[in-house]
Amino acid sequence: MSCDQMTPQERWQALVNGERPDRVPCLQFMLGHTAVVSGRPIAKVYDDAAESLRCQMAAMQLYGHDGLVLHGWANAGGAEFGGEIEFPYRKYTGAPLMKQNPVQNEEDAWNLKVPEDVASAGTIPTALAFSRLQYEAGLPVTVQVGSPLTWAGSVCGEERLMLWIIKKPDLVHHVLRVITDLILRKADLWLREFGPERLMAFDLCIETNKLYSPKQFEAFASPYLKEIHDYLTERGTSIFLSHICGEQNKNLPYWSQLSFGKRGMISVGKEIALATAAASFPECVILGNVDPVLVQEGTPEMVRALCRECILEGKGHPGGYALMTGCEVPPQAPPVNVGQMVAACREFGRY
Amino acid sequence: MAVDSNNPQHQQAEDATEQAVLERLKHAVMEGDDKAAVEAAEAAVVAGVDPQKAIMEGLAAGMNEMGRLYEEGECYVPELMVAAEALYAGLGVLQPLVLGSGARDAKKGVVVIGVVQGDIHDIGKNLVKLMLEVSGFEIHDLGRDVAMERFVEECQRVNADLLCLSALMTTTIIAIKDYLPEFKAKLPHTKIMIGGAPLNQQLADEWGADGYGENAMEAARVALRLVA
Repeated sequence: MSCDQMTPQERWQALVNGERPDRVPCLQFMLGHTAVVSGRPIAKVYDDAAESLRCQMAAMQLYGHDGLVLHGWANAGGAEFGGEIEFPYRKYTGAPLMKQNPVQNEEDAWNLKVPEDVASAGTIPTALAFSRLQYEAGLPVTVQVGSPLTWAGSVCGEERLMLWIIKKPDLVHHVLRVITDLILRKADLWLREFGPERLMAFDLCIETNKLYSPKQFEAFASPYLKEIHDYLTERGTSIFLSHICGEQNKNLPYWSQLSFGKRGMISVGKEIALATAAASFPECVILGNVDPVLVQEGTPEMVRALCRECILEGKGHPGGYALMTGCEVPPQAPPVNVGQMVAACREFGRY
Repeated sequence: MAVDSNNPQHQQAEDATEQAVLERLKHAVMEGDDKAAVEAAEAAVVAGVDPQKAIMEGLAAGMNEMGRLYEEGECYVPELMVAAEALYAGLGVLQPLVLGSGARDAKKGVVVIGVVQGDIHDIGKNLVKLMLEVSGFEIHDLGRDVAMERFVEECQRVNADLLCLSALMTTTIIAIKDYLPEFKAKLPHTKIMIGGAPLNQQLADEWGADGYGENAMEAARVALRLVA
């Protein structure tokens, strides 16, 4: 039986206002799983705005978690420049895949341009339709704004991009410039239509130190992230959420220099300790860092024990804390495991 | 000029030349300089260095050193990528000479490798392939998003010693879990290794894989152990 003293909406609002909620909130980075528990193809949360919102709201009701509801995926950006994308209808696929990168060679890269009509480019129409539904439903309106280097992998192909980082750095900066310009024009669409107060900008960033050095992060990721964060926060964007995916401990000094506006939210994976995240972002809400693989492959008891550890480590953070998986909830995770997360917040997260 | 191999001075000069060429090959790979790798490989041919030795003690030694630096956090994947490009450039010169010399008996084993169905993330797979190649394995790369049935067909076709399955997503590691029992039944003489960011040794053990590598360098060490 729930002993909650706040509704999910009140708990979310407390988190956003920097107030202490009744207990540790449980936010979920949950997309494909919401389709699975709704009996729908995973692709529907990506290629159909109305179905996506319906599935995510249904899962929120099912689990009783406190958010998030959003549209996006890490390896985005390629479709907006004319790349071919495959939505996850096939068995074992769990997120959109780039079938053909729009940039295949140096000439393509030098010729890369922001599409004239950004509103109709790639998957932006679906994202915009999703945000209109969020607005009508009274939800925070989300817009994915990067990260540019992650998107560059989708635009150029990761291996090609990595070779160019060493051999053709000017070319990579050109690509990143164009991608950043696209993101800023996309952000303008959202700012104009929905206003900054309702807006929650977010970026999903996979430039881990398993791939890139901190120096490469500093040169190729950080300046463009800073430009986007500054642009949105200077225009009054209410919330900025950054998902710092994977092992990025050596990148944290750069991340911590970014502006996060009125309310910053930092989502970290199991590779970054919650205490480290809290020390790096004292004024931001920290989200994390339950291992998603354990949520898929472990037992309910294992998930409960891990959630307890996270809650006890995170709940004292002055900037606020919410339990979340360290990356997307695995689409095929057993619902009894996912349900442990809210249960653990109720059992161990009371303030 | 004819060389008198019984003359100690000539032998020393030959050794010095060989060592210098091997160092050039190694450094060309470590610098990620594909032009220098080709020039060093051509110099090896002119100096009469055994092409297999030039590959293993020159090019592969450079790549192994880069792998060591990666494990120590001294270099990162972009540097590995350019090193690999240089290695393959040098191999382009030396490999045909090895193939022509009948020296393939030195291979450590036959590997089939690929990224499983539904997954297109192949950086890790390509690094494992590279490190297996420089460790002396014969590689049959099926690429990415490979239908699971293809792995069995290819292993049977080439009589593989080792099957390496890669997956980066939580949905696609399920494909590995689903198919491992069938693969083991159909390929009783093939060892199966798995790898990819969501995986770990515990899952590999639970699912019955023969080996797991935390990174490409470890994968090569495990592979060598499995075929020993």
